[in-house]
Amino acid sequence: MDRLDELESQSVYIIREAYYHYKKLAMLWSVGKDSTTMLWLCRKAFFGEIPFPLLHIDTSYKFPEMYKFRDEYSKKWGLKLLITRNEEALAKGMTCEKKLECCTALKTEGLKQAIAKYGFEALLLGIRRDEHGIRAKERYFSPRDEQFKWNYQDQPPELWDQYKNQAEEKTHIRVHPLLHWTEKDIWYYIKRENIPITDLYLAKDGKRYRSIGCVPCCSPIESNASTVDEIIEELESTTTSERAGRAQDKEDTYTMQKLRALGYM
Amino acid sequence: MTIRHNPKFMVLSIDGVPIGLLRQLMGEGVMPNMAALAGQVGTRQMRSVQPTVSCVAWAGYMTGKNPGKHGIYGFIDRREGGYDLKFPNSLTMATENIWELLSQANKRVFGMNVPGSFPPRQVNGILIGGFLSPSLEKAAWPAGESNYLKSIDYRLDSDAQLARRDKQAMLGDLDITLARRMEAMFHYMDTEDWDFFHTHIMGSDRINHFLLQKFEQEDPEFAPAFRAYYRKIDEAVGKMLDRLPDDTPLLIFSDHGFCPIKQEVQLSRYLVEKGWTVPAESVRHPLSIDPAKSRAYCLIPGRGYVNLKGREPGGIVPPEEYQQVRQQLSRDLLDMRDPNTNEKVIRKVLMREEIYWPSGCRGIQKMEPLEVARQEGTFGKAADVIAIPYDGYDLKLGLAGKTLFQKTELEGMHTYNDAFMIARGVELPKDDLEISMLARPILEKLGVEPPTDMDGIGEAITPDV
Repeated sequence: MDRLDELESQSVYIIREAYYHYKKLAMLWSVGKDSTTMLWLCRKAFFGEIPFPLLHIDTSYKFPEMYKFRDEYSKKWGLKLLITRNEEALAKGMTCEKKLECCTALKTEGLKQAIAKYGFEALLLGIRRDEHGIRAKERYFSPRDEQFKWNYQDQPPELWDQYKNQAEEKTHIRVHPLLHWTEKDIWYYIKRENIPITDLYLAKDGKRYRSIGCVPCCSPIESNASTVDEIIEELESTTTSERAGRAQDKEDTYTMQKLRALGYM
Repeated sequence: MTIRHNPKFMVLSIDGVPIGLLRQLMGEGVMPNMAALAGQVGTRQMRSVQPTVSCVAWAGYMTGKNPGKHGIYGFIDRREGGYDLKFPNSLTMATENIWELLSQANKRVFGMNVPGSFPPRQVNGILIGGFLSPSLEKAAWPAGESNYLKSIDYRLDSDAQLARRDKQAMLGDLDITLARRMEAMFHYMDTEDWDFFHTHIMGSDRINHFLLQKFEQEDPEFAPAFRAYYRKIDEAVGKMLDRLPDDTPLLIFSDHGFCPIKQEVQLSRYLVEKGWTVPAESVRHPLSIDPAKSRAYCLIPGRGYVNLKGREPGGIVPPEEYQQVRQQLSRDLLDMRDPNTNEKVIRKVLMREEIYWPSGCRGIQKMEPLEVARQEGTFGKAADVIAIPYDGYDLKLGLAGKTLFQKTELEGMHTYNDAFMIARGVELPKDDLEISMLARPILEKLGVEPPTDMDGIGEAITPDV
C-alpha cells in the first residue's frame, strides 16, 4: 500500500466511524481543496452516495468561482447541500472592513446558528495538522463546548484507532478525517484521483491562490504553476507557509487596531 | 518539601520609565523597594535608540545590534514591491535574539511580554510574546504554555481602547494585567533553575502615555492613581527581591524615557503642505500616496523616505538627486515651527548612514550618497532621513489629517536619553550606556561567547544624538 492509499484508508475509516456513532452528522464544505478532497473521500466511503448533509457556511464574500463550483458539483454529485448565512449580521451591514469581527459574525456565529437549527451532534472538517502550529495539538475526534471552545487540557490519546467519540451534553464533536494529511499529500491525491478543484488555485498572469476563502481576506501568491503537476513541483521547493496570505492579513488588522488605539498612527 | 528554584540571571524591564520619574517616586517613598536596591547598587541613565519606540529599542536589546543589522525600524514598515504597509515582528528580525543565543549554548531561558518577541522563536525554554501578539495560543512557545496562561486569565496587554474611553476603567485593567503577569512570573520562577529569566512590564508605558500630565499637574483624581500603579510595580519588585538570593545577577531597567506632549505633529501632512508628498485619491493608510507625484514620504516616527527611482516601485527621484533631496527635505523638516509658541519642532535630522551601519562592527561608516541610496538588505530598509523632535513634539502620520498640530487624550511621549538602569552583579560599560549594549554583558556573565558581529563595543556603538 503506498502512502496515498494509507492516508485514504485512514480517512475513510474515520468518516465511517463518525457516521456509525452520530445520527446527526454533517460535513462542512468550504469548497476549498481540502474540504473538496474530504468530500471525495466521503463519496468513496459510501460508494458515491453520502448519507449525511453537507453544510456550506456562506459569508457572501466568497469568490464567485467558488459559488459556481459549489452549485455545479452539488448538482452533479447529488449532494444534500445545506447553505446557511448569518442574515442578521449581513443585514446589519457586517462587512469585511472589520476583518476580525466579520469572521466571528459570519463564520463562527453562522456555524453556531446552523448547529442550533439542525441539531448536529458532529461535524466533519477538513483541517490538517500542518496548517498551523495550534492545529498540531488537535485530535481526530475533538469535542467543543457550547461556546465552541476547545480545551487543550482535555486531549484524549487516540491509540490503535480507538477514538473518544462521546461528548458531554451541550457540546458537538468535530471530526477531522484529514488531520494526518499535508498540503503536498492533498495535491498528490488530487492529481492521482483527478479531483476537480476551482481554477483559483491555478496560476493566471503570474499569480495564484494557495488558500482560498473570502475575497477580501485572501491574497494571491506569485506563481507560474498553472497545472496540478506544477503546483506539486512548486510546493516541493517552497519554504513559505500555506496560509501566509490569509492569517497574516488578519494579524495585520489586529496590529493596526492596536497601534491606532495606542496613538502610534 | 518544596524545592526552591532560582534563576542564574534575572531581568525585569519596566517599559518607558524615565530616570527622573523613577527618582521622584523613589524619593517620595512610592517605590521603597526600588529605592533600597538603588541605594545599594546605584541608578544610571541609559540611552534608547532612534527612532525611540519600544519595538526598535527591544530589538536592540535582544539582538545587541543596531537597526541597520537587525532590520527593525518601527512598528510599521513598507511592504516590498508597493506602497503598502507591513508590520515588522520577530520574523522580520534578521538576526538571532538573546534567548536563541543562550539556547544554542544549552542554557534554559525564559522571556515574557518583551515587545518584538512575537511570534516567539523556538528556544530552549519558554518565550511568551508581547503586546502585539494576536492571541495567547500564538504568543507562547511552546504552544501548550497558553493553557497555564489562560488558566490564570493572563493578559497580553491592557486595553488601549479602554484608556481612551474611560481612564478609571483603564486603571483597573492595568492593575489586573500587572497582577496576572506577576503571578505568571512567580509561577515560572518556581518551575526550574532558569539560566536566564526576563519579565517585562508594559503598563508603565501605557499609564505614562495616558496620564503623565495629570500626574505632573497633581490632578486630584489621577495623580494618586498614577502613584498607586507604580507602588504596585514596586511591591512586585520587592517580592521578587525577597525571592531572589542577594547574589543573583539582576538588571532592572526601562527602554526609553517619557515627557509630556506639547503637540502631536502630523508629519505626513507637513510633507504634503511642503509639496513632498501627494496623497492618493483615496487615502486608506499612511502609505496611500501618489507615487508619480511624490518625491518623498514618511512613516512614524519621523522616518523620511526618498521616492527613489530604481528602488521604490514607482520611484521618481533619480539617484543622482538623492543627496540633494535628502538635504532639502532635512531643511524643510528643521524649519517646522509650533504655531502657538514659534518654537522649533525638529531638533536634528540624521541621514541613515549617520546612525545605522549595515554589517560588521566598525560602527558608522563613511559612504558616498549613491552608495547609501543603493544599499540593500536590512540597512537598505532604513529611512533615508530620521527626524528627531524636541521633547514634547510627538511625531505622527496624518496623511489625510486636517490639522498639522493637535492635542488628543494622549499625554506622554517617548524620550531618547533618559531611560534608567539598575544593575546588580553585572559588569556594564562604565560611561556611555545604550540599550543595545546590554546583550553582550548578559551573555558574558552567563559564560557564553557573544557573536563576533554583535555591536556594543569599540566603534560599534551608536553615537549619542
